[in-house]
Amino acid sequence: MKVKIKSNDGHIQKLAEIVGGTRSILYNKEDLIAYDCDGFTLHNHLPKAVVFPNDTNEVAQIVKYCSENKLPFLARGAGTGLSGGAIPINGEVIISLVRMKRLISVDFENRRAVVEPGFVNLKLTNAISDKGYYYAPDPSSQYCCTIGGNVAENAGGAHCLKYGVTTNHILGLEVVLPNGDIIEIGKNGILDEPGYDLLGLLTGSEGTLGIVTKITVRILKNPEGKQTVLAYFDKVEEGSRAVSEIISSGIVPAALEMMDKVAIEGVEAAAFPVGHPKDIEAVLLIEVDGIAAGIDEQINQILEVCRKCHVRKVRAAKDEHEREQWWANRKTGFGAMGAISPDYLVQDGVIPRSTLPEVLERIKQISEESGLRIANIFHAGDGNLHPLVLFDARKQGEIEKALEAGSACLKVCADVGGTITGEHGVGIEKREEMRFVFNDEEIIAQTNIREVFNPHNLLNAGKLFPTPGRCVEIKKEIKDALLKS
Amino acid sequence: MSVTGTEFSESRPCQTRLGNYLWKELPDENKWADCVHCGMCLESCPTYEQTGQEQHSPRGRVYLIKAVAEGKLEVNEQFMDPVFACLDCRACTTACPADVDVGGLIEEARGQIRQAIPLKGWQGSLSKFFLHWLFPHPSRLQSLGGLLEFYQKSGLQKVVRKTKLIHVMPEHLVEMEGIMPEVKTSMRKKYKDQQVIKARGETKREVAMLTGCIMDVMFSDINESTINVLTRNGNDVRIPEGQTCCGALHVHAGDREMGRKLAKQNIQAFENFETVIVNAAGCGCMMKEYAQLFRNEQEWLERAEIFSNKVVDISKHLHETGYEKPKAELKTRITYHDACHLSHGQGVRIEPREILLDIPGVEMVHMPNADRCCGSAGIYNITNPEMAQAVLQSKMENVPEDVDMISMGNPGCMLQMAIGVQKYGRNQRIVHTVQLLDWAYQKESEVREG
Repeated sequence: MKVKIKSNDGHIQKLAEIVGGTRSILYNKEDLIAYDCDGFTLHNHLPKAVVFPNDTNEVAQIVKYCSENKLPFLARGAGTGLSGGAIPINGEVIISLVRMKRLISVDFENRRAVVEPGFVNLKLTNAISDKGYYYAPDPSSQYCCTIGGNVAENAGGAHCLKYGVTTNHILGLEVVLPNGDIIEIGKNGILDEPGYDLLGLLTGSEGTLGIVTKITVRILKNPEGKQTVLAYFDKVEEGSRAVSEIISSGIVPAALEMMDKVAIEGVEAAAFPVGHPKDIEAVLLIEVDGIAAGIDEQINQILEVCRKCHVRKVRAAKDEHEREQWWANRKTGFGAMGAISPDYLVQDGVIPRSTLPEVLERIKQISEESGLRIANIFHAGDGNLHPLVLFDARKQGEIEKALEAGSACLKVCADVGGTITGEHGVGIEKREEMRFVFNDEEIIAQTNIREVFNPHNLLNAGKLFPTPGRCVEIKKEIKDALLKS
Repeated sequence: MSVTGTEFSESRPCQTRLGNYLWKELPDENKWADCVHCGMCLESCPTYEQTGQEQHSPRGRVYLIKAVAEGKLEVNEQFMDPVFACLDCRACTTACPADVDVGGLIEEARGQIRQAIPLKGWQGSLSKFFLHWLFPHPSRLQSLGGLLEFYQKSGLQKVVRKTKLIHVMPEHLVEMEGIMPEVKTSMRKKYKDQQVIKARGETKREVAMLTGCIMDVMFSDINESTINVLTRNGNDVRIPEGQTCCGALHVHAGDREMGRKLAKQNIQAFENFETVIVNAAGCGCMMKEYAQLFRNEQEWLERAEIFSNKVVDISKHLHETGYEKPKAELKTRITYHDACHLSHGQGVRIEPREILLDIPGVEMVHMPNADRCCGSAGIYNITNPEMAQAVLQSKMENVPEDVDMISMGNPGCMLQMAIGVQKYGRNQRIVHTVQLLDWAYQKESEVREG
């Protein structure tokens, strides 16, 4: 189809023809600027164009065109990612998948659903809740983030402590490979097919191996009962001890969340305050779910543990409304930082639970040294810590300071035996920090896998891994030369 | 950044600039400083739902507005498009964890755009006609109402429809013609010589009422119902003479100068009253935000704040001060639509629902996404008909089939929803919340008298 485009660029013309019209492509600076970053705002780069395909076929055609013409490209969902995975640092053609947002089928008998990548996470639960089912992975951005993006980042969420992260819920994928071929993995939606676990490899590959165009996910029956407890602690150590003791008592909570003093200040100043006291050091949000009969007993056990750990005040939600308020307060925690700071940088470290008091102490030092406030929101149950570095980008030098402080927080996490990301991905933000946990050889081993799928590195290049050190590069060149000869 | 707005003449670059904002009344930097780009607003936005494009999302718009201040973009036609395509529905304000005032920011940006690129040609004339010549002048509106009444009652309407003369109009205007309410007597005219409309029975308090511009011509029966339910519940009602159009349409269109002029007139007109009752969500929301227009005029800023605190929606006023539950039964199944400027704009959601449920025989059917915009958005359905239609369609998909009436608290929504009912072959009656309450009271007295 011939499309009238106000651009002299032949590529733009061709891409517009593939997606069938001016409404499915953006190429003016004024429109593109809204795509120069995602949820990570510290790097900005204009894309060449943004295209909005309607189906797998169009995606494949776009990819094929880009690949043949050596145009860098990447996929983007809702753009809520926090590590910059969808930022077009090489002036990519952005393939926006938000218009591929159909719920293709729901199979209650076999407990699975098929969605397109632009389908919003929470909408799946909303669509099946009347039948008593839900989709378990619940990143805090689930009101707006897409399942395609969840697959790319292997997204977690508050309830992943008990139910696992995205990868545990993916049964099949349709993928457009960087050369434009369409493949299916996990064809029949049966878990654990023979051969290599390609589903596992693709999930969390941060859009560097292929573009997912159809996703088969597992859906779960709603738990029969559910109860949530809120606990206030005067000391972080005590809250932290309560977390460890709850887990070691044998209870597997559906969620176990913690916020520190600065985080509490933020959520209470923002749109969903619930009246947390300002003078406590930690609030815990603990949820148990499952067969109704055992819930009360577990709740009593949790209350008991909290009291033993010198909790100031602890109680269970009086009704569903209150429970929802507590969760809205917690789940909007990141955005809420806008109420106490013009900008924030969120980090995503993982630490052994028992090291929390030590880690928080060291983060406090980082905060003092940098002069920037740091709030901590913590998926305490699985040790996934989110330090939020608060800064003002308008002040000279603060962006650099914030980046340094964030990196220092991750170094602490790695030093205590943890790692640098739990659920937000590496993107461009934590590329260098990969060196805290991998040496050059280990990084090369992984980029070698990327080369199998993405040999020309046109798809989302420059993400996930740091550029290898010089000597390793030379070693590799020698090795390649030897192999060729 | 200190700018005293009165020092500058209109449509001339001012000395203080902010990036590429060169015109009087610079947008407020603090409004975008609150936005951390988290994206929680995306799914709440009707234009993002339709397009899937960032520049048509709340955070995208905020980002573009900021980009102009940073000098990355200029105030030009391409920038104008996303800023003017916003419905100003404020759903993003409800969704935003950081309370970013996207609506206020959009209006400020529109103010800059309209000074930089004044409307020309027929668009300019049309906008001048409506916004300057017509809405601020009750007498002209009434004359026009008279003409409309003549059109409807003289048989001319029938002739136009029969002779297919109607097909020369654009589609959306034809749809609008089809649902035009019958023009009745203006309340301002009716009570012109009456100082006060006394409460029936004991007077508990005195309130002043905004009759509105279009409201009093096209929807004077709602104004009448409002007066009835007020007097029925112990309110003496006054209709101050000097009042005028609230200015919402002007501010939405970027004409802040005229908005300010009208705001001042209303602030003065209602100065001596404690409570200002409004039955149109759009007007109520605007009047509660008058202070935003006077950021650079300290004296008026204070007066505006005092005034805004006195403004209250009719349903909230009844809910707060108490109302008698009607005794007669209205056997009807209804659903309730949250007008954006009532729910997102003023946080009024529970009050009208409780009033409706207090009417015996009223059965309420839940409307999914009840606080989703219907696409009316002031005059958006005239300026952006295509998007308004798409938004209306997704609204109508959520309106339950099996109800007799759709109740709401805003005249703009009433017109738009009436178009929806007609266009999609539905048969619901569109009513204002106070009308239902008034009918129940009337039925009660009929029963008593009969």
